[in-house]
Amino acid sequence: MARLPFGNEIKTLRFLSGEMTQGELGERVGVTRQTIAAIEQGKYSPSLEVAFRIARVFEKPLEEVFRWEDAE
Amino acid sequence: MSFREKMHWASLVAILLGFGFYFFTLHTIPHTSHDYYIGLLIGVIGFIIAVMTIAAIIFAIQNSKDAHARADERDRLIHMRGTHLAYYILVLGVWALAFAAHYGHGMFFLLNSMLFVLVLAECIRIGAQLYHYRKGY
Repeated sequence: MARLPFGNEIKTLRFLSGEMTQGELGERVGVTRQTIAAIEQGKYSPSLEVAFRIARVFEKPLEEVFRWEDAE
Repeated sequence: MSFREKMHWASLVAILLGFGFYFFTLHTIPHTSHDYYIGLLIGVIGFIIAVMTIAAIIFAIQNSKDAHARADERDRLIHMRGTHLAYYILVLGVWALAFAAHYGHGMFFLLNSMLFVLVLAECIRIGAQLYHYRKGY
């Protein structure tokens, strides 16, 4: 699979939020633990809705959770 | 590995074993009565249902929370991707069978070819889903 052009800070933010587990974040966002793991590893590009939900859990703007990594 | 992914593996293995046996028998004993093959087909379907039921029970006992989890957007996307690929196999199969019927192949050949196309499409569907669960989407 092609590498996604953006990365994320979800793993770090989970750690800083009381070592929140992938399962706990998944429950709060409304997706499975496996989907959170896939997002973290850059194997799945979430919908805009899920991206916003993740950012809202951490009380951060979207740009602080997801960052564009393409050279352009 | 999620409950869904495990169930996909179980269904792929069951289909390959069950229909592998069916088509192998069809190929090696081609002149047995049609009733024999109908019985064999019912047996294969029963085998697949049994494997899926046992697998579902075992995987649900291992992780009941995961087994009850609803499909999320990634599950639905992966499902659609697999179904999309399988559709092409079905379309090609239908055209091939239409030509085969036109050129006078018998009903027994056509029915079993149709079954083969269905099984192939199902294997492509499940295989594509397993690929995307592992490698990403």
